[in-house]
Amino acid sequence: MTARRSGRVHRFRSARRIPAALTALVVLGVAGLFLYDLAAVRAGRPGMSWRRDLADGLATHTPADLGVQLIAGAAALAGAVLLLLALAPGLRGILPMRPPDGPYGPDGPDTAARVRAGLGRKDAAQILRDRAMEVSGVRSVRVKVRRSHVGVRATSHFRELDDVRADLDAVLAVGIEELGLAHPPQPRVRVRR
Amino acid sequence: MLGTVNRILLAVAGTVLLAAGIVVLTGAWPLHGRRAPLLSEATRSRYWHADGWWWWAVVAGLAVGVLLALWWLLSQLRRSRLGAVVVDTGDGAFALLRGRALEAAVAAEAGAVEGVAGCRVALRGRRGSPALRVALELEPHAVPADALAAVAGPVLTHARTSAGLPELPAEARLKVTSHRSQRVT
Repeated sequence: MTARRSGRVHRFRSARRIPAALTALVVLGVAGLFLYDLAAVRAGRPGMSWRRDLADGLATHTPADLGVQLIAGAAALAGAVLLLLALAPGLRGILPMRPPDGPYGPDGPDTAARVRAGLGRKDAAQILRDRAMEVSGVRSVRVKVRRSHVGVRATSHFRELDDVRADLDAVLAVGIEELGLAHPPQPRVRVRR
Repeated sequence: MLGTVNRILLAVAGTVLLAAGIVVLTGAWPLHGRRAPLLSEATRSRYWHADGWWWWAVVAGLAVGVLLALWWLLSQLRRSRLGAVVVDTGDGAFALLRGRALEAAVAAEAGAVEGVAGCRVALRGRRGSPALRVALELEPHAVPADALAAVAGPVLTHARTSAGLPELPAEARLKVTSHRSQRVT
C-alpha cells in the first residue's frame, strides 16, 4: 500500500514500549544475576549452585537431546517474534488521514499541514454504518473497514435490491470521502433480503 | 526517537536469539556437530577461566549490559510529557510557558469546534521543538475531515502563534463516540 494521493502520508508506527520493557527486564535480570554471582565468587563466597549445574548440563548435553532442541526452538521462535515486532509497523487499528488544507504537495512552512492525523478503524466503520442506516430500505448493516476496502453487508426489508444497492453506493462514496483518509478504501456492498 | 531505538534494539535481540536457536538446533559452528557436547569441559577451562584480565573484561561487559538495560527499561517508563516551552518574547528575553497551560488552552479551543465531543492534549517533544499530541473524540454525526481541518487550521495555528513557536507539529488521533445503530425512518 504505497501512497496513492500523497507520498508524504505514512502509517502510524507503534513505539513498541511494552516489548522493549519486557526485553530490557529479561536482559537486566540475566546480566544482573551473572554479575552478582561473579562478584560473589571474587569476594570469596561460594558460587551459586545453578552455575555448576549449568556448566555440567552444557558439558553433558548435545544438540541432539530433546530438551536442548525444545529450548533452542523456543529461543528461535522468540527471536523471530522480536524481529517481527521490530519490523512491523503496528497500530493497525489507525488509518492515516490526509493532511488538511488541500494541496498534497510539499507543505509550506506556515500552513497547518504539519498535522499527522489518524482515524480509528472501528470509528470509521461506525460512521459509515450510520450513513448506511439512513438509506431507506436498509434494515441492518454490518460494516468492516480494512486498509484497502470497506466491506458492507446490508439487509433490506423493502424496495428493489438494486435501488438500495445504488443508494448505498452513492452514500458510501460520500461517506468515505468525508472520512478524509489518505488512502480511501473501496466499498464492497452486498445487499440481501 | 524512542520508537527507533526500541525497534533497533528489539531487532538486535531478536537476531541474536534467532541465530543462537538455529545454531543449537543445527549444531553448526561454533558448536562441533550434533553429537558433541554444547560446551565441553576442555573448551570451558580454556576460554572461561575466571582470572586475570579476562575476569575484569567479563565483569565490565556485564556491568555495561546491566546499566544499558536499566536505562532502556527506565526510558520506557518515563512519560515524555514536556513541562514548559521557551517563548521568545522578542526583546532579548525569554519566558517559560507552562505545558499544562498550553495543553488546557488547546483542549478548550478544540473542544469548542463543531462536532468535537471531547479533546485531550499532551505536549511532548523537546523544549526547543515541542510537539502536540491531540486525542479528539467526535460526535457520531461529525464529519472527520471537516473536524480535522477545523482543529488543524485555526486552533493549532492559534496555539503556535500565541506560543511564538516557528512550528508546532501535531499528531491527532480521532475517535467517535460509540452508540448503538438505530433506524431513522
